[in-house]
Amino acid sequence: MNTWNKIVLGIVAIGMTAGLATAGDANKIVVDGSTTVGPIAKAFAEYYMGQHPDVNITVSESGSGNGAKSLINAACDVAAMSRPMKNSEMKAAKDAGVLPIEHIAAMDGIAVVVHPSNPLANLTIEQIRDIYTGKITNWKELGGPDRPMVAISRDTNSGTYETFETMVMNKAKMGEKVEYVGSNGAIRQRVMSTPAAIGYVGLAFTEEVKPLTVNGVEASAETVASKEYPISRPLYLYTNGRPKQSSPLHDFINLPDAPEGKKIVEDLGFVPSN
Amino acid sequence: MTENVKTMNEMRRDMPPLLLSHSARRRQRIAAAVGNGFLLAVTSLSALAVLFIFYFIARDAWPFFRLEGVREFFTSVRWYPSADHAEFGALAMFVGSGLVTLGAILVAVPLGVAAAVCLSDVLPFSVRQVVKPVIEILAAIPSVAYGFFALVVLAPLLQESGGPILGVAVWIVGAPLAALAIVVVADLATDRLRDRTRTRVRWLIVGLLGVGAFAALAFAGKALGGLQIASGANALNVSIILGIMALPTVVSVSEDALQAVERGLREGSYALGATRAETLVKTVLPAAGSGILAAVILGVMRAIGETMVVWMASGNAAQIPSPWYNFLEPVRTLTATIAGDMGEADHVTGSARYHVLFLMALCLLVFSLLCNLSSEWVIRRTRKKTGG
Amino acid sequence: MRLQTRKILDRTFAGTGVLAIVLMSAALLILLTPIFIRGAGALFFTGTVEHRRLMLEKFDRGNRKQVEAEIRSAQAAREPIYRTIAVFDQQLAHGDAKERAKYKKPLKELKKALQDLLGPAPGSVRPMLMRDQYGQTRWDRAQIKLARVLYREEWDYSNPTKSGVLLLKSRAADFAGTPIQELFSYMEKNLDQLLLPRRTLYWQFLTDESFDSHFFGGIWPELLGTIYLTLGAMLLAIPMGLIAAIYLTEYARESRLLNLLRTCISTLAGVPSIVFGLFGLAFFINTLKVSNSKSVLAGSMTLALMILPTVIRASEEALRSVPRTYKEAALSLGAGRWHTIWNVILPSALPGILTGIVISMGRAAGETAPIIFTAAVSVGKPLALWQTLSQPTPALSWNIYNLATEHEAVDEVRHVQYGLVLVLVSLVLLLNLAAIILRARIAKRMRA
Repeated sequence: MNTWNKIVLGIVAIGMTAGLATAGDANKIVVDGSTTVGPIAKAFAEYYMGQHPDVNITVSESGSGNGAKSLINAACDVAAMSRPMKNSEMKAAKDAGVLPIEHIAAMDGIAVVVHPSNPLANLTIEQIRDIYTGKITNWKELGGPDRPMVAISRDTNSGTYETFETMVMNKAKMGEKVEYVGSNGAIRQRVMSTPAAIGYVGLAFTEEVKPLTVNGVEASAETVASKEYPISRPLYLYTNGRPKQSSPLHDFINLPDAPEGKKIVEDLGFVPSN
Repeated sequence: MTENVKTMNEMRRDMPPLLLSHSARRRQRIAAAVGNGFLLAVTSLSALAVLFIFYFIARDAWPFFRLEGVREFFTSVRWYPSADHAEFGALAMFVGSGLVTLGAILVAVPLGVAAAVCLSDVLPFSVRQVVKPVIEILAAIPSVAYGFFALVVLAPLLQESGGPILGVAVWIVGAPLAALAIVVVADLATDRLRDRTRTRVRWLIVGLLGVGAFAALAFAGKALGGLQIASGANALNVSIILGIMALPTVVSVSEDALQAVERGLREGSYALGATRAETLVKTVLPAAGSGILAAVILGVMRAIGETMVVWMASGNAAQIPSPWYNFLEPVRTLTATIAGDMGEADHVTGSARYHVLFLMALCLLVFSLLCNLSSEWVIRRTRKKTGG
Repeated sequence: MRLQTRKILDRTFAGTGVLAIVLMSAALLILLTPIFIRGAGALFFTGTVEHRRLMLEKFDRGNRKQVEAEIRSAQAAREPIYRTIAVFDQQLAHGDAKERAKYKKPLKELKKALQDLLGPAPGSVRPMLMRDQYGQTRWDRAQIKLARVLYREEWDYSNPTKSGVLLLKSRAADFAGTPIQELFSYMEKNLDQLLLPRRTLYWQFLTDESFDSHFFGGIWPELLGTIYLTLGAMLLAIPMGLIAAIYLTEYARESRLLNLLRTCISTLAGVPSIVFGLFGLAFFINTLKVSNSKSVLAGSMTLALMILPTVIRASEEALRSVPRTYKEAALSLGAGRWHTIWNVILPSALPGILTGIVISMGRAAGETAPIIFTAAVSVGKPLALWQTLSQPTPALSWNIYNLATEHEAVDEVRHVQYGLVLVLVSLVLLLNLAAIILRARIAKRMRA
């Protein structure tokens, strides 16, 4: 009899835990997606959790495409993306009964960066394209030192890659020698430690590397805000439908429009959206 | 052993305990059958897991053939999964995986087999007890820690002073090898000569070959020493680290193989006047050959399936290095491609991009299955041969 | 061949073997030394007053009175700097436009460098990001930042066909002739007054949450995540593995089926870890839907599958090594088969089984690839037990990758990366040490 009691108790306990687990979901926000938006999402999460200690916000930085996919699979609440959703993704979302709503988190420029020892100061979009298609392979072709170039790109799963592909490559394909790394931070690190390297990163990742001017325009918050800088894009947060008023998700997703949110975005080196 | 138990069980079956009634006995037998069935079910479940994995990976890989066909996948090096006209040539990844695995084996097999020989035949028992934990720790360190080391310590080191390091390495490895080879060659060449001339000719050969070897080494050392390594995240870096990671497997499996060689063989060889080296090289190693082959296969499996190290430190350039054996160029492997590209690919959008990654996973799976089967076959054959 | 040559060859042969072993040990040493030394730096370092301020404000840690006194003393030491700058600001505001234009940029840069070193100037708006709210908490980083205050990096590109040359320009020279010039030597001399360095043991690194994406704080969520994932995996793998091992050793008769099962299990052992990750995603999350998104549960299941063959093999070996006389004795006493297994064989095989379990625990704790798609996130709170059923978690292994490659300021958080590696490696090594000790005890018992 005693054993049976124990078993019944155990089942009840398991049931209760499961119940609690579902009950607790209201206070959890799962953010998945772009590494470019990562710093913003992490800082927002930190800020929001500081204000509301009962809410748990998790942030994965696995690439924009992954964010979209997670949103479609209902595996996340917020998809952070450094590119707009594609038609195919929108369609897949519709089929899955998900309605992606776009929120702009910030504006960002893609800075083309080289090692600080590189004497080069400016590149045109065409030159950048030639570097990445493999047409230009040595710095001396651009009047620089005689050194074979190490062109570094973001992995093909990133929104930064796709923005770069549309805004710079103009349908030309990346050369075979291009190296791929998984994140902005990784590009920055590779460029920092490699004198012959060239890479492209979000504006927030330019410390200790040398951002080049593109078509003569410096990459900075001001030039991105004024749309002078040629390679800039909005960063997005997508949700499934409009979140309920005064739910944690609602507050979180509206942070970019709140003054604190704007301040965070600015402090991180991005440009607040209007 | 099992036979003994069986007979005992049979005895139990033949002479059932007298106390039990007929129905109790039946109940007992049913309970035994159910229990047995349950155990078999659980065991099959864990074994079936692998079939499950095969099924799920293959199921998601299959549509790729319909969408893109295989030819491009296996023969093209053009990897543009996200372009408008996507291209899925994975040849560069196959070569990349192969290259780092080859590098790892070049590091792990000589070192591993030498260490195994030393452990089983040279070192005294007490030293062996100290070395064993070293191997175990090497095997236990998580791959991400290896990857971190490759990225944060080894890559900058290679990039800054990789050339000089290689130059010195050539001397350290080459000089003793060359010296040894020269001595042996001189000795063999002068074996048949008469005593008086022998010494002179030997010195002549040693001198000539020595100068030649010195020149060759100096040339190679200088060429490598002046090398500028553009990027420390390259095939060499990864090969070294993967080699170290595969070492424990190679050492322990080949040591087992060496231990399995009968004492009698060794004793016979010693009795014929062979030195320890001759005994090992001419008698023991050939006898343990297939076991060592199994060790190499398992090492290959360890290297080719590794993800974190290659993802972090191989540079991930989807290219075939030119020339193909240029270990100083960045490469991209199958595993790193799966880990890195899974972010974009998804089955809900039904893209070929998702399926191509599963196809890569399937290739890895098939490869590891083949490795596994062949290593098992090799081991089984050895067992039969040695009669153990 | 001459005897002498044969002897040389023999010696070199043995020498090569010894050399290989030495090299292997050296590799281990080279690998572990930086991890242990720099990893220890995450817990034991020279902390500045900013660190103690952070501890006090965030955790209410330390002697409040004493820390406040320290903060006051540091502020007193910093006061001349800020006063001089304020006076200079005033002077410029009232001075002529040319002067103002000349000093605008250098002054802005100087203020930024100062803020990096000492934290926000008194009276300025409180920044939103925590990394801007505090100065350098670590003395080693503070010295790097001091160099940035004293010198600015300038690259000489006068020869465009050669790489630029790094020139360190003294900021003092930029402000020559102004009151600010004096500040630089003051700061250089009195940095310890400004930051009050003291040896600090920050053991709470292990139990604190991280702040501002790991700029400050500890690694508790990661550590806890790894513990959950590992225990979860063991919870699932041990019963299955044990049952399979019992069946394979005690019940199964040699047959085709058994051979097939064995081959399956050893193939499972050879499946690359990333493939487990893919399978976990495709099966546990997308097909079985054990959870909506990544979760500890899904990750544990994937890891359990991965270590299952190891558990089975180790248990099988342990069960086989039980002397068969034990079993025969039990059976001959009339004990049933199950009774024999449960009361005789399992207890005597237990240490061996435990060894295998502990080693596979180490493997589960250290693996990254299987949890990328199934469980790991870069930022999250420590989970309560019931949350593991539905929520993802940070984990040591994943966050090493994440912080070392994806973080926006990889260098600033290097100590955290090393700290994470150290904790993960120590965890795994401790588990292995336990296994080694266990095994030694078995060996002893066997000999006795």
